Amino acid sequence: MSTFKDSEGYKIIENWMAKDGNEPFSFQYKTWQRYSNKYSGLVIAPTGFGKTFSVFLAVVIDYLNHPNQYKKGLKLVWVSPLRSLAKDLAKAMSEAVESIGLDWTVEVRNGDTPQKDRRRQERLMPDVLLTTPETMHLLFSQKKNSRWFKSLKCVAVDEWHELLGSKRGVLTELVIARLLALSPNLRIWGITATIGNLEQAKTVLIPYPEIKTTTIRAKEKKKIDIISILPDEVEVLPWAGHLGKNMASKIVPVILENSTTLIFTNTRNQSELWYQIILEEAPDLAGQIAIHHGSIDKVSRNWIEENISAGNLKAVVCTSSLDLGVDFKPVDCVIQIGSPKGIARFMQRAGRSGHSPYERSKIYFVPTHSLQLIEASAIKEAVKTNEIESREPMVLTYDILVQFLVTLAVGEGFNAEKTFSLLSKVHAFHYMTKADFNWAIQFITQGGNTLKAYEEFHKVILDEDGLYKVKSRRISMLHRMNIGVIVSDAMLMVKFISGGYIGMIEEYFISKLKPGMSFILGGRVLEMIQVKDMSVLVKRSKSKNAITPSWMGGRLPLTSYLSHFLRLKLNDALKPGSREKELKFLHPLLSRQETTSHIPKADEFLVELIETKDGFHLFMYPFEGRLVHEVIAALVAYRLGKIMPLTFTIAMNDYGFELLSDQAIPLDESNIKNILSREHLMEDVTASINAAEMASRKFRDIAVIAGLVVQSQPGTRKNNKSLQSSSGLIFRVLDENEPDNLLLKQAYTEVFNQQLEEVRMQAAFKRIENSKIIIKRAKSFTPLSFPIKVDRLRSTISNEDIGKRIARIQQQVFKLD
Amino acid sequence: MHIVTKNIICNQETFTLTNQRALYWESEDALVLSDLHVGKSAHFRKHGIPIPDNVLIKDLERLKALIAFFKPKTILIVGDLFHAEFNTDVAHFKIWLQQFPNINFELIIGNHDRLSVALYKDLNITIHRPKKRIKKTSFVHDNVKSNENEFIISGHTHPGVIIKGKGKQFIKLPCYQVSSNQLILPAFSLFTGLNTKNSPKESVNYAFTSQGIYKI
Repeated sequence: MSTFKDSEGYKIIENWMAKDGNEPFSFQYKTWQRYSNKYSGLVIAPTGFGKTFSVFLAVVIDYLNHPNQYKKGLKLVWVSPLRSLAKDLAKAMSEAVESIGLDWTVEVRNGDTPQKDRRRQERLMPDVLLTTPETMHLLFSQKKNSRWFKSLKCVAVDEWHELLGSKRGVLTELVIARLLALSPNLRIWGITATIGNLEQAKTVLIPYPEIKTTTIRAKEKKKIDIISILPDEVEVLPWAGHLGKNMASKIVPVILENSTTLIFTNTRNQSELWYQIILEEAPDLAGQIAIHHGSIDKVSRNWIEENISAGNLKAVVCTSSLDLGVDFKPVDCVIQIGSPKGIARFMQRAGRSGHSPYERSKIYFVPTHSLQLIEASAIKEAVKTNEIESREPMVLTYDILVQFLVTLAVGEGFNAEKTFSLLSKVHAFHYMTKADFNWAIQFITQGGNTLKAYEEFHKVILDEDGLYKVKSRRISMLHRMNIGVIVSDAMLMVKFISGGYIGMIEEYFISKLKPGMSFILGGRVLEMIQVKDMSVLVKRSKSKNAITPSWMGGRLPLTSYLSHFLRLKLNDALKPGSREKELKFLHPLLSRQETTSHIPKADEFLVELIETKDGFHLFMYPFEGRLVHEVIAALVAYRLGKIMPLTFTIAMNDYGFELLSDQAIPLDESNIKNILSREHLMEDVTASINAAEMASRKFRDIAVIAGLVVQSQPGTRKNNKSLQSSSGLIFRVLDENEPDNLLLKQAYTEVFNQQLEEVRMQAAFKRIENSKIIIKRAKSFTPLSFPIKVDRLRSTISNEDIGKRIARIQQQVFKLD
Repeated sequence: MHIVTKNIICNQETFTLTNQRALYWESEDALVLSDLHVGKSAHFRKHGIPIPDNVLIKDLERLKALIAFFKPKTILIVGDLFHAEFNTDVAHFKIWLQQFPNINFELIIGNHDRLSVALYKDLNITIHRPKKRIKKTSFVHDNVKSNENEFIISGHTHPGVIIKGKGKQFIKLPCYQVSSNQLILPAFSLFTGLNTKNSPKESVNYAFTSQGIYKI
């Protein structure tokens, strides 16, 4: 038997690469070799080293070696998380295939694919299909879909680290399970960047014991330069967003120095703001700078992406919409504005520049308030030690189970026994019991009532041939519109009254505008004229007073890894090392914190009590990220409430939280240990949080995914008005009437796992218990407390009687009747 | 169920507000409510969205308790008695109605009430379109224009109110919205959302909970 190195397929590829003076990286060669030995596996490689071609060419080589084992039709399904990835990948693959001399067709299919191309693909599938997890599920909902996948040889999942840990990861697991069922000799390959739990990432992708798997790690490493941009002077009371104008004058030279710069912001709102700020600072850049985010029209986004590739743009302000993917060759510089929130995310963004192998990635960090410079310092430390977060896969997502079963029923119909055995091999449903599965079947066939079947409920029907099917065309249509797990707020299309589409905007934002008011979208100032048929009609405006829409979401918490490094940095903040220019720069702020209050050392826990005309403020600084702070704040409020009934409002950021009350807070050195005690921790947490309220928020996505809430489709005239309801309303109705509904249970589980992060909570309280607690009383806000105070996201927690509460608010605000 | 009442005087008439989403007009011996949306949960089920039928049962239990409390001669529904098509919920309602042969049910036709006129006849419900007037008070479903000479009672908007307090606290509650020439009723059905925008000019909100009624 000849070795792989001598095989004809490998020789062809080797020669093809040599023509351009290239030779394979060792991880590419290894992938090809393992693939030809019928392995499945995971490839771990940084961007810019040809990770795409590791798996893609493996399939090509195998085909060249054994052409007679391949039939007409689909050979490779390439699943990637982002649509924008697919187009450029398809181009690169097509070019490769052509110059190798293969007659393969490579095509893209996703939400942007025109109707006529889809119909053509359905008649004859290409050899390679680049697609998204959602589009695969949509294909599964088509009649007679299994014929397309019978000849499939390989499914590749690109950027697996991005999918793992989200519900889209579960969708992907299901795609693989069904493809494997249709084509039993399928090879499964994942491509991922480095994350903390690579072994688990592989098991989740390929949980099948009968499949041989391997892990291939590229030795090549991306070098990253991290440069902090310092403001002219330190503000001792840092305020989010306050630094904008000042920093623009420092960003522009960076843009001019480099050929193409990607400017990352954390929210769409910020990207709109910074686009305006930069243009104001450097009007000459008009036409050479663009804005890219999820609410921008697809055509504009494509145009921007093409022009980045062609090197026609100096800079693009963007959000996570450009986090991944396509190798924009001209990009040689990245700017991160605001906290990067996590180490993996920061490194990923840095990797968007300097794409050629061995080129260095260059990333500038621009703080939006000066305290964030400590994060820059923490990130550098983390990158140096190569500590990267894990992505925890989701399990027992009943909403996706329900959606998937209906998808199968809309498509070819499904057999209950076979589907249960398929699902129980998938990682996400590994622990699902038969009873849970039966509940799901009952939910989609009878409406979930355990006592009786509703006579009008005919969503899924058990047909005479023993298969569960959807018969109603209208239900099939509603379901297809609803496939996927990305739940957005109700969005409206924004159009010029003269014609021309600009982008999407949340209904919630528009509802606050009156005709004649101006707002900013896609970098343009627009005047609202009217709202009609789910569209907002606008015209250009010269108004100086425009509002920037605030899109919901995008408020990621700091990861525990990063917060760990943050605490360490703060510890030696007052005596920085000679190379830590961020900490040196922050010295005035830090010393003010030290004189007016205190800087917590690594073994200390800081509590601040401040009294102002707003009321009585309590600040605590666990540095555990926004979500965990929300829970600790509620817990502290609950324990204080046992001393004396009080109503608080809560504010938090990634560093700490605030409890604000209109009455004095009964907290001092004598009882602080009890308030922060680890005893009865989870009991008190459960009692303190409004679990129902939190679950109701989590239920929003679950309700949409499971098809309980019909999402209105932007731009369509038919908005299913008589079926409109809110997830909050359905949550309440189910909570009162069907408390054993598994979707409700899932909402509570998601609260405990994600929101309460029980493991992280326990660790945090253990740390606090072992810390020296320092209580400081201040006359005014301190540098640490000020940014929390100005945070607008507030929620209320109360243990007072509701009637009393209304009465007291009334006493303050209104005259009592 | 705890029924809390509060009398208010509008345009020289006394109305009794309750915390159970209906008002009682003593001088006419009438219970007035709006937006019962019978058939909504079955309509959802028919389209593959499983909403429990307890929703309707509980709404009707509450209505029955109010009837037992006030013993009205007339029940006046100011629109949206039905949500959509004739379905099992409507059939259930039909049977439920039979226990009150001596009460006059009257309906102002609302935008959702699209069932055939024959059905109302069958159910023995008197219908009015677009309004019914008693003395100086008119009942309509959706009050679009106000008239100087009459006091208008309507529904349709499912009014709610956000109570804001110091320290950015807030509570969201259903309410009655009352001004000098009109009163908007909260939606009777619990399977309805709350609309906290567009309250009429110079109106007073009477919000309520299971324990009380609060003027805001």
